[in-house]
Amino acid sequence: MKEQRSTKPDYVTDEERRAFLKLGLKITGVMAGGTVLSLMPLSEQEAGAVLKLEGYENTKYKPHYCMVIRQNDCVDCEKCKEACIKTNHVPEYGFRTTILEKTATDDDGNTFPVFMPVLCNHCLNPPCVRVCPTKATTKDPKTGIVVMHVEKCIGCKTCMAACPYNARYYNEEKKAIDKCNFCWDTRLSKGEKLTACAAACPAHVRVFGDLSDRNSEVWKLIHQPNKAVWVLRPETGAKPCIFYMND
Amino acid sequence: MFRKGFFYILMGLVAVAMFLSAAQVMGQEDEDYPQEPIIFTKPVKAVIFDHKYHIEQGLDCDSCHDDPFEMAAGTAEQNDDFNMKSLYQGKYCGTCHDGESAFASNTRCTLCHIGVKGYDKMMGTSEKGHGEH
Repeated sequence: MKEQRSTKPDYVTDEERRAFLKLGLKITGVMAGGTVLSLMPLSEQEAGAVLKLEGYENTKYKPHYCMVIRQNDCVDCEKCKEACIKTNHVPEYGFRTTILEKTATDDDGNTFPVFMPVLCNHCLNPPCVRVCPTKATTKDPKTGIVVMHVEKCIGCKTCMAACPYNARYYNEEKKAIDKCNFCWDTRLSKGEKLTACAAACPAHVRVFGDLSDRNSEVWKLIHQPNKAVWVLRPETGAKPCIFYMND
Repeated sequence: MFRKGFFYILMGLVAVAMFLSAAQVMGQEDEDYPQEPIIFTKPVKAVIFDHKYHIEQGLDCDSCHDDPFEMAAGTAEQNDDFNMKSLYQGKYCGTCHDGESAFASNTRCTLCHIGVKGYDKMMGTSEKGHGEH
């Protein structure tokens, strides 16, 4: 029991903190109720070092699909959501992706909304996959996409409880859990390069691509010097593959 | 009888006319602009424009009407070029929102872009329910 992980939301392990300090990285803030760990790399090498340390480099996945979200450009037009619903036949009572909102205040005292697109984080270490009793959800060994095998799903909803990102819902029609699969069946496997949401975004907020490719836009975006990049709920150890930054 | 009745009706009309013109003059001084914010829903949902706030910044009707905006609400939205690209080129809101007269159009997005959530709040319609767990 002593080894049990703290449930305190702002928890960053000493081990993690030391590792970051060793690399000369600034922990720029534990934000949004401690569920976000933001790192400000000082150089491209350091950004790479963090991602390597965290296990994001040299994974077996190729392409290693991920998404970078340029958060402050999101205006909640929800064209992404519309495109997702249409492409993946998402019913009204569920979602594969959605937009969260919080209120911020600028230097002049004006309040303004901050919109945060959320979806399945296609974790390196997905808690949903670990808990599924029937192996109905797996991490694709080629692409890293966390996929559903609907025919194996018994609808026990254990994965819903395990997911730190509320990225799953029970689909009444399929009698199974449904979730984002980066549009694998509806688009990527048919030769499309982008997910429906990324293709529909008018502000280039959702940048989709291959993290294993150093020439990809996603790789370049998260390896910029002096640019904070963060992930949601790092304390769960799930190693999410949706990265957030401001433009 | 007929003449007296006609006189009263005439006096009544004059009184109504005076009242109306007085109201109009007062209106022009004070509130002769839409009191409710304008909500644009094209090309994206939704963008808010508040006349009151802009009047308070010292602008008057001539500042924006009829150029860059027609008086009739919804006219700009009919145009294919009513988008951010045009704003960056100094059209529409970009006439002032250029980083000099007012904050640049490519900054502080959500000050004007209230989103679908902002739209629903303004219209008093709640978000469609989804599976809470």
